Amino acid sequence: MTVPFLALFALFFAGPLIYSIVLSLRSPLTGGFAGLLNYRTVIGNAEFWSGVQRMAYFGAVQVSVMIGLAILLAMFLDSPYCKGKRVFALIYFLPYAVPGVIAAIMWGFLLEPDLNGALSIPSKLGLTSGPISPLDYRLALYAIMLIVTWEFTGYNMTILLTSLTNVPRQALEAAKIDGASELSIAWRIKLPLIRRTVLFIVILSIIGTLQLFNEPVILNDIASIGSSYTPNQIIYNTAFSFGNEQLAAAQSVVLAAITIVATTAFFGLVRRRVMPRSENRAVA
Amino acid sequence: MATAAASHRVGLRYPVIARRFKITAGTAVLVIAALYVLAPIYWLVIASSKSATSLFNSATFLPAKHIVWGANLHSLFTYGGGDFKWWLLNSFVYAIVTATLATAVSTMCGYGLAKYRFKMRGAVFGLIVGSLMIPATALVVPLFLLEHAVGLTNTYEGVILPLLVYPFGVYFMSIYCADAVPDVLMDSSRIDGAGEGRILTKIARPLLMPGMVTMFLLSFIGTWNNYFLPLVLLGSQNRFPLTVGLSAWASDLNQPGAGQPLYPEVIIGSLISVLPMLILFPFLQKYVARGLSFGAVAGE
Repeated sequence: MTVPFLALFALFFAGPLIYSIVLSLRSPLTGGFAGLLNYRTVIGNAEFWSGVQRMAYFGAVQVSVMIGLAILLAMFLDSPYCKGKRVFALIYFLPYAVPGVIAAIMWGFLLEPDLNGALSIPSKLGLTSGPISPLDYRLALYAIMLIVTWEFTGYNMTILLTSLTNVPRQALEAAKIDGASELSIAWRIKLPLIRRTVLFIVILSIIGTLQLFNEPVILNDIASIGSSYTPNQIIYNTAFSFGNEQLAAAQSVVLAAITIVATTAFFGLVRRRVMPRSENRAVA
Repeated sequence: MATAAASHRVGLRYPVIARRFKITAGTAVLVIAALYVLAPIYWLVIASSKSATSLFNSATFLPAKHIVWGANLHSLFTYGGGDFKWWLLNSFVYAIVTATLATAVSTMCGYGLAKYRFKMRGAVFGLIVGSLMIPATALVVPLFLLEHAVGLTNTYEGVILPLLVYPFGVYFMSIYCADAVPDVLMDSSRIDGAGEGRILTKIARPLLMPGMVTMFLLSFIGTWNNYFLPLVLLGSQNRFPLTVGLSAWASDLNQPGAGQPLYPEVIIGSLISVLPMLILFPFLQKYVARGLSFGAVAGE
């Protein structure tokens, strides 16, 4: 019964993965074996590394804000003070049903001063010299952060909310009887109990950040923010605009390696801090 | 925790006022977040009813004076020889076929892993969990080259086949099967003379239905929303899904000499491509949410 899956896996997952590694060792000019030539080119490629660096900054800012917001919203929805929990949970989850491309088109238009008169209000009041244009090269990274946060905060909140409903009620009742406020219950009891879920969504977000593609491509279509904004865009250009498949394969392998190193490093770093020593020993 | 202590003290003295304040403050945060989510969707609905000139001249968030949904829809479906209707149809074909087959393949594999002990079982599990770590985009370039070599690029199969490999779906279904189908039931069916295939299709399948619905929806939404893979694998307009087609139109917005910019068409086309899912979402939400939360909650 596992055969159909394994056959497809071999042909459309493992095959391309291995081919990617083989291809990355070949010369772009002759097609013959070239050792680590392409990897040397990747290491010396300033554009590629500036894309990686941009994503590192993006991840540090956007992932923190998004996860913080998701935790805040999930805690509110899980607190006894919240009214209309179901409606809010549904609204926040809606962007999951919107393709990234469509989200980028909507926001791209909304962030264009020509299409959104609200962006000209500060200049009409004399506060700025011209309309605010968030899609300027300088601000485009923050525009993408705004869009990605819109797309995925509710998704992460939904995962956290499911996890929160599994927190044992006795623990919460006991804390309440001891006179703990809702805030300290959220911070001291609920948050520690869902920390593994938090870790899980942070790791998913890191992987997603390094693969960013749709949003910068669409914003470039709408406002020319540049076509080499993220590592994935650079890989796409290398393969399909310049036809250098061998170098693109090497770039893909390096990006996959960066992803694996970044997530395992984060995991190792946080595991020691988040989990108390006694629990670590118990797990081991 | 100064704030917690303070609010606690206030709570003791003025319980009603403090409670009401907290409800108001909490609700305010929730409403602001809801506006952030709904504003662009609301704008899309409003903007889709405006003509090209009114998009640039009227108040952004106010309804149009002259609603031109009819004209915009007509233009959407007739522009460029009516490409849009093919994109819409293609998106449905890709999503329905992929989700149906991916659900079948993943359910079989998950069921096999959960209910049978065989030699390579551990290795297969390791493979599936390990592949969750590989960013899918690392595969797109070699996938294009391999498919190109065998003539699969620019075909429906070429897009659908790679999307059938859904390791998370297998992982999800294997855990779902382990819980949903009791071994005792399988044993008693065997005693009654049912073959293994019959046990899966007749006995286990009804029990697995809710999990399969979740799996179908995750795959459907993932395929409907996919952009990178079809963008790379498809060359001709009449194979495009909505995401690739609309982005092709959007890329002409900024090109001088590309003809009249298609603002109204891109906007109403975007609305059409999110509308079916947004309408169905309230009914599907719980199935989707269960699937997404699965990896995380299983680890708790």
